[in-house]
Amino acid sequence: MNGSKSLGIALASVLLGGGALALAGFALASDTPHQAALNCVRTSATACSLQLSTYPDSLEGAHGKTGGAHPTWVTYANDNLVVPENTTINVTIHQYDGGGSLNDPFFDQVMGTIGGTMVYNGKTVSHVDPNNIGHTFTLRNIPGNGKTLFVSVPLPADYRNPTITIGTGQYPKPNIIKFSFKTGGPGTYEWNCEYPCGDARVSSGFGYAMSSFGYMSGTLTVK
Amino acid sequence: MTDSDNDKTSLKSFFWLWGILTIVGVVLGLYGPSHLMPKSMSPNMHLTILTMVIFTVAAAPVAAGVYAATIYVLRNWTHKGDEPPPPAKPVRENGIIVATWVSISVLLTLFLLIWGLGALAEDNASASSNPLIVNVIAQQWVWTFQYPGTHVESNSLYLPEGREVEFHVSSDDVTHGFWIVQMGVQVDANPGVITTIHTTPNVLGTFDVRCEQFCGLNHAFMDALGDVVTPQQFSTWLAAQPQRT
Amino acid sequence: MTTTLEHTAVAEESQGGGLARYQNAGTAVAGGVLFAFLFWLIARKTMDPTGEAFNDQVTTILGCGWIIGFWFGIGAFNGPMRWLLGRDHSRADDLYYAGHNQGRARYWKYTTDHKVVGVQYIIVTMGLLGVGGLLAMAIRTELIMPGNHFVNQQVYNAFISLHGMIMILALIVAIAGPWANFVMPIMIGARDMAFPRLNALSLWTLVSAASLLVAVAAVGGLTMGWVVLAPITDQNGVGMDLFALTIVVFAVSSTVGGVNVVCTILTMRTKGMTLERVPIFVWGAITTSALALYAFPFFFLVEVLQLLDRNVATSFFVSGGGGTGWLQANLFWLMGHPEVYVILTPAVAACFEIAAVMARKPVFSYRTAVAAMVGLSGLSILVWAHHMFTSGWAPTLGGPFMVTTEIISIPTGLFFLVLIGTLWRGHIWMKLPTIWMFGFIANFIIGGITGIYLSDIPIDNQLHGTMFVTAHFHYIFVGSVLFGAVAALAFWFPKVTGRFLDEFLGRISFWLVFIGVQVTFLAMFASGLKGMPRRVSSYSVIFDHTNLITTIGAYIIMSGMLVLLGAIIKSWGHGEPSGPNPWHANSLEWMVPTPPPLENFDVMPVITEDPYNFREEMVRS
Ligand SMILES: [Cu+2]
Ligand SMILES: [Cu+2]
Ligand SMILES: [Cu+2]
Repeated sequence: MNGSKSLGIALASVLLGGGALALAGFALASDTPHQAALNCVRTSATACSLQLSTYPDSLEGAHGKTGGAHPTWVTYANDNLVVPENTTINVTIHQYDGGGSLNDPFFDQVMGTIGGTMVYNGKTVSHVDPNNIGHTFTLRNIPGNGKTLFVSVPLPADYRNPTITIGTGQYPKPNIIKFSFKTGGPGTYEWNCEYPCGDARVSSGFGYAMSSFGYMSGTLTVK
Repeated sequence: MTDSDNDKTSLKSFFWLWGILTIVGVVLGLYGPSHLMPKSMSPNMHLTILTMVIFTVAAAPVAAGVYAATIYVLRNWTHKGDEPPPPAKPVRENGIIVATWVSISVLLTLFLLIWGLGALAEDNASASSNPLIVNVIAQQWVWTFQYPGTHVESNSLYLPEGREVEFHVSSDDVTHGFWIVQMGVQVDANPGVITTIHTTPNVLGTFDVRCEQFCGLNHAFMDALGDVVTPQQFSTWLAAQPQRT
Repeated sequence: MTTTLEHTAVAEESQGGGLARYQNAGTAVAGGVLFAFLFWLIARKTMDPTGEAFNDQVTTILGCGWIIGFWFGIGAFNGPMRWLLGRDHSRADDLYYAGHNQGRARYWKYTTDHKVVGVQYIIVTMGLLGVGGLLAMAIRTELIMPGNHFVNQQVYNAFISLHGMIMILALIVAIAGPWANFVMPIMIGARDMAFPRLNALSLWTLVSAASLLVAVAAVGGLTMGWVVLAPITDQNGVGMDLFALTIVVFAVSSTVGGVNVVCTILTMRTKGMTLERVPIFVWGAITTSALALYAFPFFFLVEVLQLLDRNVATSFFVSGGGGTGWLQANLFWLMGHPEVYVILTPAVAACFEIAAVMARKPVFSYRTAVAAMVGLSGLSILVWAHHMFTSGWAPTLGGPFMVTTEIISIPTGLFFLVLIGTLWRGHIWMKLPTIWMFGFIANFIIGGITGIYLSDIPIDNQLHGTMFVTAHFHYIFVGSVLFGAVAALAFWFPKVTGRFLDEFLGRISFWLVFIGVQVTFLAMFASGLKGMPRRVSSYSVIFDHTNLITTIGAYIIMSGMLVLLGAIIKSWGHGEPSGPNPWHANSLEWMVPTPPPLENFDVMPVITEDPYNFREEMVRS
């Protein structure tokens, strides 16, 4: 048997083929690898402002005009947030989505913001109705490295607002949520939503958009 | 090399090797676990580290014996070259050796079992009839803690020193693993079921709660901060928390 | 029987084969794709598109289409159909199916010759190890420092899930696949396996399943860990359906293969080949296959129930619907623990065989070796709940399962007694197989002892779910099983190819992999002891040094494995010729020519003693 060449070719093709298919699969699976950075806009030496939105589908925001691989999934418009260190970050979120009850009513509170409050459609509040939540913006730390930055803000849902049109989509008039928090030194933080807004067969509601990076989750890089 | 190799003298070197490697193992056992593992903040963790030490010390002569024998074999009875060495003297059975080996391993296993079952009983023994109850709720990628009777819910775990705590652990979604790293206790958080563990924090200071059951996208980031404080500080903290209904 | 089939059927040879003449791996893939497409069309038309499970149903049906089409394409249904139609195989057909005079083409076909199947298993194993190894390197690259840098957590989770499943599949077949097929029938003096066509079926069902695993990645991956425990699995997309289907088909493959090995050993031994005279590897093959027959039906069952839960809204594992995830965990570990010994036992048995031949000495206490393997397999079915010590399920069973688990250390210890007893005062020929066998011994002691810690509940309450567990079973799977597998490959490679596996490259590879394993997994033990959880894409800075060391070690292992791959490819065609009996052994596989002819023996041998009586005169001849 002098099959070294054919063995080599067979193995190489199995390896390359398998590897290429697997990589193609993972590329597809994570159709939002990491979106272009959304930078905080400096408003003064000590403050900057960050503008976010949450949509009931993926037709708006960084998934592209066709909505990427999952146009029907709920999404934050951006997943890659970049902010300066030791700065007050003034965040404004336009919340276009409906919603319902939290799994854990704990997240109806505003936590970790300056003053422990947020401004919800002009009113300053410290918590909202746990049965009318669209999403939350919950920022967490990389485990155990001492740079605690826990911020959690509920984003109420509201069906009573009239419909408006953005691009090709029809959306309710957004709820506008404003809050501020202070950053420390540089580091990368993870944020995600804690309202069960992703479909799943069991009641938990943490499937699909909630379990896929870049829809209801992302990073906040402090530079 | 022939079959009549100087067995007596060289066996001495085997025993030397065995002895030295055993000492290395024992030293590793005495210093390794306590040096590497997180500092103990509860009797359970203390028992865990102690058991690690005991088991390592007990295993040291076994592992050292195998390594010493292997090294000894490699030093004395190997042949190089392209021609096979001549046949060795066949030894098919040696009842005494097999029986000795089995007896020793049975005795060692019995020791491990007796120690282990004793430690398990001690782990499970409840010290107090009036433990502090804490409800632990896991939700994908955050822990929250409720103190029944107080309407307090927190995302970090405050515990008073010296009082037994009973954790009632459940999940709002998938299975998580509730683990207090410095206290050596773990139990899964399951949807629809309440599982319990208990421990008594006995050292003041901060500790870590981590999720040790794979729970999806942000599993790596599912941790919580904990703090063991004095009973007075604990009551003060509890009173200062927002009351949730 | 003194004339072989070969002689009697020469005249009819040109007519044999029928449809199989046109079938090979290419038609199998074509059949798979065609059927997958047809089934997809049918599913789209028949399933309710508004239903919650529509995507799962379409995917599952499509996956079934691939499997069935693949089996049609490769020719798995030819035999049964011809039998049904009353046109069963003629001798010429059997000869064609055995791959007679087909050259290299027979390796791409539904070939029944056990030696061809053995070589096919080598290729499949190497392919799986290659893909799984690439994933391991991706994992270690991501873990080189804290934070997510190389991939995000979703992709990372998909990497660890697929790495786990592919490596488990690879190791299950790594030794039993090639060698229980290629050499075992010759060892016992059989012309082929008891059921040659089942042998081909087992191989090609494995290929059809393993290729589905690639499709899992293509439809969005599996991001829930390979154990896929409920309820988190229902957050996974349709990749989970294909994954479950893969397992179902794999369980069929291993059951078919297991039945075949057990029946072959029990019924096909030549005259005088009593069960106490078979080479010790044969005992490894039969215990591992019997254990697989017990274990994998649980795997089959658990994934069938999973598929039902997902596709037709049953609730076996759904806590709200009367089921429980603990049912799945139990079923899974009823498979999961025996599976560890399905993987380990062939490695141990191969090392026994190599130790005896290379030390020029009989296996020390053959009966102890047999008792240890059988006893370990028996015990391994009684320990499954040690994986659930910290689950909160049935705390009162903790003590009993701790007892059964720790008793396992007794038969495991006997492995060392047999190995060292065999080598003791041997004349040990230090060739490539011997060296890798020594690596097995050195690593297995660490893997074994760290397992004892984890069987102790007070310790498990701290170390469960940490990198300590990962390091422990990698010492078993990489440090022990992989070393045993390479030792076996180096040992029997000359019988397959007529050439030695390159000694020089093989030794370089050994040292790289051996050192790499110590660096990688000793550092990983440290990470675990410090409190680093498993299956995390990022970690606290307190674990950074040990993780960096682990990643460096992993790259050393990879370079060693690449050298080994180079050695295999080089030696297969251009290695040093070995002759039929390079190790001067006595067992039957070394008595036949190399490569062994179709049906192995011209004259069936008669056995009067076991193969471990090494004699001076054999060396001279
Ligand atoms: Cu959300
Ligand atoms: Cu978790
Ligand atoms: Cu196990």
